[in-house]
Amino acid sequence: MVLRELKALRKEKTIMFAILIQLFIASFSSVILLGIMVYYDPDSIGQNAQLRLDVGVLGDTQSQFTNLLEQRHHRVRVFSDAAKAETAFKAGRLDAIVYIPEDSKDVVEMKLVLPEMDAQATLVLMLLKEPLEKYENYLREQQGLIVRYQDIKGKPFSTNEFLYTIIIPILMFFPAFIAGSMVIDSISEEMENKTLETLLSAPVSINQITGAKIAASVVVGALQCIAWIILLGLNGFSVQNAWIILILSMLVIAIVALLALLVSLVFRDRERSQFIYSLVILVLFSLTYFVNPSPFALVARLATGDPFVGAGQLLVYVIMLGALVAVTPFITKRLTRV
Amino acid sequence: MRLRARFGGKMIAAVLILLISAGVVSSLVFIQGMVLAKDFYIVGVSPGAPLIFDQRFHLVQVDPSQSGVALKSGQIDVYVTGKAAFYRADDRSQHAAGAIKKYLEKKEIARIADQYPLNQAFPLRVEVNYLKAPTENMSAAAVTLADIVRVGQEADTPANSPTVNGGNPMEDENPLAGQPPAAYVPSESDELVKQQLEVSLSSRLVPEFKAEFASNKQLIVPSLMSPPIPLAQVLLAFAYILPIFFISIFFTSGFIEEKLGRKLNILLSAPVTPLQIILGKMLPYVGYSLIIVVLITLIFHGDLLLALAIFLPVILFIFAIYLGVALQYRTYRDQTFFSLVAVTVITGYLVFPAMFVGINDLSYVSPLTLAVQMFRGESFTVLQYMLAAVPMLLVFLLAITVGTRVFNEEYLMNFKPLHVKIREAIYLAMDKRHLAASAAVFSLLFIPVVFMFELAAITLSLNLPTPIALGFLIFTCVAIEETAKSVTVAVTIERGLVKTWARVILLAVVSAVFFFLGEKVLLFMSLSVISESVFTNAVFAGNLLWIPLLLHCVCTTIVCLITWRFGIKSYPLALLAGSIVHGLYNLSVIGVLR
Repeated sequence: MVLRELKALRKEKTIMFAILIQLFIASFSSVILLGIMVYYDPDSIGQNAQLRLDVGVLGDTQSQFTNLLEQRHHRVRVFSDAAKAETAFKAGRLDAIVYIPEDSKDVVEMKLVLPEMDAQATLVLMLLKEPLEKYENYLREQQGLIVRYQDIKGKPFSTNEFLYTIIIPILMFFPAFIAGSMVIDSISEEMENKTLETLLSAPVSINQITGAKIAASVVVGALQCIAWIILLGLNGFSVQNAWIILILSMLVIAIVALLALLVSLVFRDRERSQFIYSLVILVLFSLTYFVNPSPFALVARLATGDPFVGAGQLLVYVIMLGALVAVTPFITKRLTRV
Repeated sequence: MRLRARFGGKMIAAVLILLISAGVVSSLVFIQGMVLAKDFYIVGVSPGAPLIFDQRFHLVQVDPSQSGVALKSGQIDVYVTGKAAFYRADDRSQHAAGAIKKYLEKKEIARIADQYPLNQAFPLRVEVNYLKAPTENMSAAAVTLADIVRVGQEADTPANSPTVNGGNPMEDENPLAGQPPAAYVPSESDELVKQQLEVSLSSRLVPEFKAEFASNKQLIVPSLMSPPIPLAQVLLAFAYILPIFFISIFFTSGFIEEKLGRKLNILLSAPVTPLQIILGKMLPYVGYSLIIVVLITLIFHGDLLLALAIFLPVILFIFAIYLGVALQYRTYRDQTFFSLVAVTVITGYLVFPAMFVGINDLSYVSPLTLAVQMFRGESFTVLQYMLAAVPMLLVFLLAITVGTRVFNEEYLMNFKPLHVKIREAIYLAMDKRHLAASAAVFSLLFIPVVFMFELAAITLSLNLPTPIALGFLIFTCVAIEETAKSVTVAVTIERGLVKTWARVILLAVVSAVFFFLGEKVLLFMSLSVISESVFTNAVFAGNLLWIPLLLHCVCTTIVCLITWRFGIKSYPLALLAGSIVHGLYNLSVIGVLR
C-alpha cells in the first residue's frame, strides 16, 4: 500500500520540483546571507578580503583617529592642502577624505568626504565604522567617561544566527508543508476522479488508503531532511543532534499530513482545500511561536547543541501525533460515509 | 463572481475565522517583539550584571566562583559580570559573545545617554559629504573639497590655498559651509544627535526604510549609526508581489477549470479571436492587481503614477508566466508545483538583484530597485526604467504571441511531456512561410527568458563551492543560450520545413546573429546604466565584437547541423556538442584555459 503510493510519487515529477524549490530557498537564503554579511559584518568581509582603504587626512593630523585607522591597516595620507587632496581623490588614489578640526573642545565635528558612487561610498563607510567608533570611545575616555564591555571580541553572529534560527528550521519544516500539500492533491484528485470509490470497493479500508498516503509523505519528507543535513554538513555547517531533529521533523510531517487529510476530506474541492490548508498551517505555525521552545527554536537549539534541549522535548509532538492518529479514523469514516 | 462561487457558505466562515486568528496572532507577535529563536544563547550572569531583556538570551544565574567550571563544561556560552564578559574559544561561545556584545553595547549607549550630557556622551559627530565621482567633468563640479572642509578657497585656484585651518572661519559668503568647526553650537547638532538617539534606541524591531547609510550633509554619530538593511527590498517584494501572485493563481485556476470543464471549447467556436479570449480572461485580474498596487502605494505614501509605471510591467510579466503555466498544464497537481516553481523563479529574479541596491548597480535589472528609489524620493533615468521594464514586457509579448497561436482545442487538451509541448508551441507560433524571420523574432524574444534562467543559475550556483560553481555557471549559461538560439531551427527540422543543409545553416546564422544583437543591446543598456562610458567603450571597441558573434554562429550551426543530420532525437547531444565548444571558448576568455 505504502509502496504503491511511493511509486505513484516517484512517477510524479512534482517531487522533483519540490526539491528544486528547496534548493532555491537555500540559494535564496545564501543571497540574503550575502546581503547580511555585506551590511552587518563588514568586518568579516574586511578580514576575508583584506580590504584596505586609502584615507586622506586634513586638519588635525596628530589626531588619535589616524592611529586607529592605521591599526586597522588602512593607509593614511596626510594632506596640508585641500586642493591636493581633492586632486588625489578625483584621480581615484583616495577612497575617502576626513577632515578633523584642530583645537576642538569637547565635541569633535569631523567631516567625511566620500565618492558619490553609491556602491563604493557604502562600502567605505562600513569599513570606517569601527575606527570611528573606537575614536568616539577614545574621546569619551578623554572626558573620563568609561564605556563598559568594549573589549569583548566574539565573532560576528548575525550570519550564524540567521542560518541556525531561520534557514535550518525552514529547511527542516518545508518538507512538512510540501507533504501536506501533496496529500491534499492526491486525496482531492482521487475524489474528483471518483477513483476513491473504486479503491474503497476493493478489500481495503479508507484508513488503510489514507494511512498509506501519509506514510509515503513521511518517508519522502524524511529523505529530504536527511539530504539537507548531509548537504549542510558538506558546506561546513555542522548540525548537532541530527537524529533528534530528523525525528522531530518526521513527527511534524506526520501531524501536518494528517491535518491536510482532514482538511481535504472536509472541503473536498482541491482549490479550497489548498487555500484553507495554507491558512491553517500559517496560523498554527504562528501559534507555535508562543510555545517555548517553539518548533523553530527547538530545531535551532538542537542544531547548535544546546545542553538544555534534547529528545525529551519531542514528547509533546509524540502526544499530539498520537491524539491525531487516534481521532482521525473516526473523522475519516464519518466524512467518507456519504 | 468566480470568487463568490468558490468561496460561499461554510467556506467564508472558515476563512474569516482563520484570517481573524492570523491577524490576532501576528499582532501579538508584533507586540511581543519578534524573536525567532528564544533562548538561543545561554548566558551566565553574575549578581552584579546588567539586566538583560532579550529573548534570544537564556539567562542562568551563576555564582562567580562557579563561572569558570560552567563555562568550560559548556553549561553556559558566555559569562557576564558587571564589568566584563568571559567566553570560550569555540564557535558557539564566540557567536554568543558577539551577540551579547552587540546587546550590551546598545545598553551602554542608553546608559551613557541617560547619565551624561549629550556633548560628553556623544563627543564625535561626522558630517558625510559626497564628492563627484572621478569620471565626472572636473571643472563642472559645483562643490569642491575646499567648500566642504571650509577652507574657503575657490576650487579653480588651488595654487595658493592655505593650509587647512578649521579654527579660522574664513569667507562667510560660501552658502554650502556649515558652522566653523571650532565654534561649536550645541543646539544644532545636539538636536540631530537626540533624534538619532531616539531612533537608535526605539526602533529595534522595525528597520528604517532606507537603502543607504547616509545622505549628503547628513550628520552621523558613529555609535548610533546603523547599517542599511536590505530588508526594505524584501519587504517591498512581499507587500507588492505576493498579492499579485495570489490574484494570478486565481487566474490560472480559472483558466484550467474552464479547460477541464470544456467551456473553452464553446468559446473557441464563438466568433472571437484567441487574443480576445486571453485578454478578456486576463484583464479583470490585471485590473485587481493594479488596484492592489494603488492601495499599497497609498498605504506607504508612494508616488502613485510612478508606482503604476514600475509595477505594470511586473504584473504583466507575472501574468505572462502564469498564462504559460495555464496553457501547458492540465492537472491541478502539475499546476500547484509549476506555480511554486514560477513563484521562486520570479521572486529570485525580482529580489536577487534588488538586494544589491547601493552595492552594485546591476540591481537596476529589478523593478524593485526602482520602487526602493521611489520610496526614498530619488529619481531614476528613463534608461534605468527601461532596463527593468523592457525584459518583462518582452516576456509578456512572448507569452501572448505564443498563447494566441497555440490557442486551439487540440493543443490545449492533449497531454504530452513538457518538452514536446514546448516544441509544439514553437511550431504553432512560428510563421511557416517566413522561417528566417520567425527564427530572428524568437531569438529576440527568448533573450529575457534566457536572462531569467541565467539569474536563476547564478542563484543556484551560490550553493556550490567556488571552483565548481564557476564551472557550473559557465556551462549552464552556455547551455541555456545554445538552447534558446537553436530550438526554433530544431523545430523546423523536426517538422521537415527545411530541406537542404544550406537552409539549416542560414536559419542557424540568422538565429545566432539576432540573439547576439539583442543580447548586446541589453548589455549596452545595462552597461550604460552601470557606468557612464568606460565599460561601454571597452565592449564596443573595435573587432572584439566579431569573435563572439562568429562563435555564436558557429555553435548554433553545429547544433543545428547535427540535429539535421541525425534527427530530432539527437538534439540533446547536439546541444551538448555546441555547449562544449562555447563553454571552452568562455573558459579560455576568462583565462582558465590557455
